[in-house]
Amino acid sequence: MKKSRLAKILTLSLSAVMIFSLASCGGGNESGDKDITVISREEGSGTRDAFTELTGILQDDVDKTVDTAEISNSTSVVTQSVAGNDAAIGYISLGSLDDSVKAVKVDGVEATVDNVKSGDYKLQRPFNIVTKSDLGELPQDFIKFIMSSDGQKIVEEEGYIMANDSAENYKASGLKGTITLAGSTSVSPVMEVLADKYKELNSDVTIEIQQTGSGAGIQSTLEGVCDIGMASRALEDEEASEGLTSQEIALDGIAVIVNNDNAVEDLTTEQIMKIFTGEITNWADVK
Amino acid sequence: MRKYSESIMKVVFLIAACVSIIAVILICVFLFASGVPAIKEIGISDFLLGNSWKPNQELYGIFPMIIGSIYVTAGSIIIGVPIGLLCAVFMARYCPKGLYRILKPAVDLLAGIPSIVYGFFGLMVIVPMVQGSLGGSGKCLLTASILLGIMILPTIISVSESNIRAVPEYYYEGSLALGATKERSVFRAVLPAAKMGILAGVILGIGRAIGETMAVVMVCGNQAIMPEGITSGVRTLTANIVLEMGYASGLHREALIATAVVLFVFILIINLSFTALKRRAD
Repeated sequence: MKKSRLAKILTLSLSAVMIFSLASCGGGNESGDKDITVISREEGSGTRDAFTELTGILQDDVDKTVDTAEISNSTSVVTQSVAGNDAAIGYISLGSLDDSVKAVKVDGVEATVDNVKSGDYKLQRPFNIVTKSDLGELPQDFIKFIMSSDGQKIVEEEGYIMANDSAENYKASGLKGTITLAGSTSVSPVMEVLADKYKELNSDVTIEIQQTGSGAGIQSTLEGVCDIGMASRALEDEEASEGLTSQEIALDGIAVIVNNDNAVEDLTTEQIMKIFTGEITNWADVK
Repeated sequence: MRKYSESIMKVVFLIAACVSIIAVILICVFLFASGVPAIKEIGISDFLLGNSWKPNQELYGIFPMIIGSIYVTAGSIIIGVPIGLLCAVFMARYCPKGLYRILKPAVDLLAGIPSIVYGFFGLMVIVPMVQGSLGGSGKCLLTASILLGIMILPTIISVSESNIRAVPEYYYEGSLALGATKERSVFRAVLPAAKMGILAGVILGIGRAIGETMAVVMVCGNQAIMPEGITSGVRTLTANIVLEMGYASGLHREALIATAVVLFVFILIINLSFTALKRRAD
């Protein structure tokens, strides 16, 4: 009796699986007109802030990213998800782009270092450092190093775009002390490399880098908690009026990425906006 | 002298015991102190039953995440418990000695794998499989359930196995003597006797599944919406916290801590029912 019941359950579940797979086969689409899988970053991410602002997804200060968008909290997961899904679209920092995914042209302009530098590629944001006017000698020297040809070379090696390509060499100053930096998590990785290099040249200097996010970094600079703030966005007027100055240390492009098998090569800013706000939901509509 | 050293050691043991209790109390105090004001500010019904989570529009409703956590956990139980239970029965009653020497360490190893590794395995293997067979992006309720189902296996297997072994041998022998087959004796006499202990194992598994973070965050899609089917993306309570904690500030940050309070209450309920069951089982 036991066995027959087991057999019944087995047959039932097997047939359920078969019906299920048949149904999913029937619903399958030809490649090319699949529903778009939108992949975005989490709320508050600097990359998301910049991307939504540049593409017009941010309308009247409201982020209109579609509810059904997948959310990833790191660049590598976005890349991996797009690489594994031929209907996916996402966005990452140009510095992190690799061969596993394809960056589409935006308004006909390819996402390359040169196009970001010339300003032709629209999806770009500055990496800024923010300082107060009464900056000490040591932080000033560190900024001098960042903006020197040695510092800017590191920026380029890390995959970002130099803000100053006619800079002079840096000479070690022999100063002593501690520099504190706080701010954007996007800027921090390249800042850490810069700090390591600076410490090699000036062995008596300690550099502390706190990853707190752009807004918090600017706030701490204003309060004097840190010497230099890092921001992956421009200063707001309100912040600038309180005596802060910002300086671009690098430019970063934001690459819109799709799967390597995706036939789409070129999207307009408006199409990207419509995809991410859920107005366009199928790849057939952007051909 | 001897007396002194004894009482000194007594104090040392007492301190050691206190440290863990103090840790629990501190966590409780921290969570409730920073979470409860946020819940009050948002409004308890808006917070617990609100349908949209949009921090940049000051909307903090975690209902989709509560449902997401419950669905994912239920899914992992549906997948993990039958497999785990049958595996435990096999290990306790059917397994040849030679095979047991391989199987037991393998199950223990499964318990020791870091969850981020499970997450990568899910992202690289399970996500493409689900995507290929059911369409969509592959990051969905089903994927998270399968992955968690695998992750809770060691808990369920080891607790169930020890409870099956703890059933007195005469239950099994008596059943055989009455003419029942081996299968019937195991499933009708031994298993029901170990029922309470097995249930306790399942509850431990639920606790593990609901608290899992890093693996789930990589495979569940993380959309803060009500899941509409098993191929719909979900966001769990844990995922919500880990996704946004890095950048959050102000009320947003407090709302995330409040999310942790809700999760903490869930775990508390699960642990209490585990203790209650354990007491009944003994």
